[in-house]
Amino acid sequence: MSLRTGRPAEDEDALIPLRFGDDPLLWASWLYYEEGLTQGAIAEQMGVSRPSVNAYLADARSRGIVSIEIAPDRFRTLTIAKALRDHFNLQDCLVIPTDGGERSLINRLGDAGAKVLARNLRSGDTLAVTWGRTVLSLADQISLPGLKDVRVVQATGGTTAKIPWTPEACASHLAKALNARAIPISAPAIVSSAEMRTMLMNEGVLAEQLGILAEAGRIVMGISSLRPESTIHSSGFLDGGMQHSHYQDAVGSLVGRFISARGEPVIGPMHDRTIGLDLDQLRRIPQRIAIAGGMDKVAAILAALRGGFVSVLVTDIATGRGILNAEGYRDLPRRTATAPPPPLNLRSDVKKLINTPKDAVDEALQGVVMAHEKLIVSVAGSTRAIRAINTPQPGKVAVVIGGGAGHEPAFWGYVGAGLADAAVVGNTFASPPPDPIIAATRAVHGDAGVLYIYGNFSGDVMNFEMAAEIMEAEGIKVRSIITTDDIASSPRETRFARRGVAGTIFTFKIAGAAAAKMLPLETCEVLARHANARTYTMGLAFEPCSLPETRQPSFELGPDDMEIGVGVHGEPGVERRRIETADTCADLLLDRILEELPVIEGEEVALLVNSLGSIPISELYIVLRRVRQRLKARGIRVHHSLVGAYYTSLDMAGISLSVLHLDSELKALLDAPCASAALVVQA
Amino acid sequence: MGEFTSRHLVDLFRLIALRLSEARRELGALDGAIGDADHGNAMAEGFAAVVQATSAEDVRAPSEIMAIAGRSFLSAVGATTGPLYASAMLAAAKQIEGKTALSAADVSGLVPAFAEGIAKRGKARPGDKTMMDAWAPAARAVNEAAKAGLSAVDQLRRAEAAATEGREATRAMIAAVGRAARLGARSLGHVDPGAASTVIIIAALQEWLGLQLATADGEGH
Repeated sequence: MSLRTGRPAEDEDALIPLRFGDDPLLWASWLYYEEGLTQGAIAEQMGVSRPSVNAYLADARSRGIVSIEIAPDRFRTLTIAKALRDHFNLQDCLVIPTDGGERSLINRLGDAGAKVLARNLRSGDTLAVTWGRTVLSLADQISLPGLKDVRVVQATGGTTAKIPWTPEACASHLAKALNARAIPISAPAIVSSAEMRTMLMNEGVLAEQLGILAEAGRIVMGISSLRPESTIHSSGFLDGGMQHSHYQDAVGSLVGRFISARGEPVIGPMHDRTIGLDLDQLRRIPQRIAIAGGMDKVAAILAALRGGFVSVLVTDIATGRGILNAEGYRDLPRRTATAPPPPLNLRSDVKKLINTPKDAVDEALQGVVMAHEKLIVSVAGSTRAIRAINTPQPGKVAVVIGGGAGHEPAFWGYVGAGLADAAVVGNTFASPPPDPIIAATRAVHGDAGVLYIYGNFSGDVMNFEMAAEIMEAEGIKVRSIITTDDIASSPRETRFARRGVAGTIFTFKIAGAAAAKMLPLETCEVLARHANARTYTMGLAFEPCSLPETRQPSFELGPDDMEIGVGVHGEPGVERRRIETADTCADLLLDRILEELPVIEGEEVALLVNSLGSIPISELYIVLRRVRQRLKARGIRVHHSLVGAYYTSLDMAGISLSVLHLDSELKALLDAPCASAALVVQA
Repeated sequence: MGEFTSRHLVDLFRLIALRLSEARRELGALDGAIGDADHGNAMAEGFAAVVQATSAEDVRAPSEIMAIAGRSFLSAVGATTGPLYASAMLAAAKQIEGKTALSAADVSGLVPAFAEGIAKRGKARPGDKTMMDAWAPAARAVNEAAKAGLSAVDQLRRAEAAATEGREATRAMIAAVGRAARLGARSLGHVDPGAASTVIIIAALQEWLGLQLATADGEGH
């Protein structure tokens, strides 16, 4: 250690070690923040006064030599907590990170709730407590044995339900941890009639217990969602009474009572049968600590806040942000962030080459059948149904595909020999109604059954199902394949809920080839399902699309942003981030697909690099190149690559990547000859 | 008071079509936030098709006009709203079957009938962030107001208030069915466009019945 003390101030410069150059501010900052010296010790080492050190440090901050950063996650919890506290006029609010490693959200919320309670609870307090998993978790994590004369009282009657988090358990665990006296409510939470409740409440023991409950100065409580997945339904607590229509306005439950979205009490037949705190009494308790988190609870927590039933809230970031979003709050800008660029380039009316929006779909289809008259023709009497010229073919399964307009060349582009027999088109991005589906089915079926193939969208499912029912009633056998290749739209566990997007054309091809081989309906169905199950698609967009009717962008995207996981109807995606290079974009899409794709080294795939409308073809090839490089590095062979606008979303500037995981059966069907407007495979 | 024939029903459809047409952009913008921006057009075109189909008919029973309305809406729209509103109108047709003219109470009774038809077809649950979150409370409001002896116009007024509240409540919901379901938590804070158009339809019902009764009263004096 080389302390040089007592030097006069004018020698200061000479004392600065070389690595700090001539900069006393940097030196002072280093000693303070990196070496952890006190200002007094720094003054001594630098040979200046303590006030000088103080001034150096302040200067260093204002000149940006030192920047103090709060970890972004911590910072978010603070800003969200502050916004919640201000907006809902709370005494206090604690927001914890949503993701926290091993421990479940309930356990971490219980832990946070325990800290809040420990900070507030005083000797002599009467504390009411409700029931539930979060409350029990709090009781099991708090330890505060030093207080005196604390009473813990059940906020409601009890239940015999076989759950660990009954009112009795929550109150007794908490009383034990606080070394407090436990006051039960010696009656069921819900009794058989209003008369029974009146009788019980006049009983001496219960009347005394309820009297203590009325003295509670604090309460800790959970908030229940009434969504079907909520544990409140399986807890046995509600005794089936919730099914009653009186409770249809209820969005949440507090202390066994029900509240509407506006936070008003919902009074139903259970009201007079419930023993415990009512909502008016609850609101009069001076400190009301609610602990609740989870996206399914947003509506319930918001209702409780609006109703003024909560004075201290403990929740997590995602839930807190959800509540604020639902109230119309936006994320607060970071303190250090520069102002975001003004939204440039917000298109007002997009230019369209059409006559009138109303006629656009029909006029385009008229042009389509003219352009491809050697392949396809309109179904008689239906402008929205198109069939292959040589249909029906007796003994062959007929493949009927369809969906909204705006995906051209889907769906008419895949009608022809070795592919679909007919395609049905609705309005822009809207499923066709049953009528044209029925017309197409009647026109092309060859007495071997009909296979419907369409993407998984609620409108398409409803309309195709209605058509299938009517066809079955006419004695035409129909099987339906609902495609689900879009990875972004739902997690792997709920794959059946995913959208059907560009990868659907692989399923068209496989089903068409199977039908052309005169395979029976059941076999065609199995093969098509097999193809769909092995197809994965992921998309992104630089610009939204615009509908002919609105001529407005379907969503807004900043000048430097891209949207990941967009749908094929101009729906926004699942994530937004800054635009990247073509290779990074290709990696982003491929990596998501590889996470799910069970391909092993040496196996084969087919690729589709698809333009969603207005990405130049040359850029698609840049992406294909990168995808092929990556697959080669992984030892996956590419049997076939399709590059182009195969399944679009009007004029969206975006791409999608689809991968079909081949096996020998699928490979043979993919290679079978076909001839349609958008896809030709030579024999 | 208030005896309404099929001609009146056509007139009612015309008002609904007009109000929806005026709200095209607004509904489209709501839909753009969480869907494909097409809801305004689909609803406006659908009711325009209903007006066209029903006004071309010679006088028929109100229930037949209602059934024609359902079928024409379905054919014009398809999509999700097509089957849902077709089911609504077919449920309403069933409810007014056998009547040659409708009372004011029959008109307010269209709200619960529509709600029932939509619920059956769509199977959405409360809180799923769909048009049901406006239709269901509106239907309950009509039933309760009728029980309390309120006039048909007042029943519809209550229904409009309940539907409006339901529409606002969809902001706090995460879409569970339909296209917006794929957005997950990003649908928070946005009003469901289907619930928004529900409010417009019920408001139009209320407005139309009010106008009819006012005119009828005027003639009486």
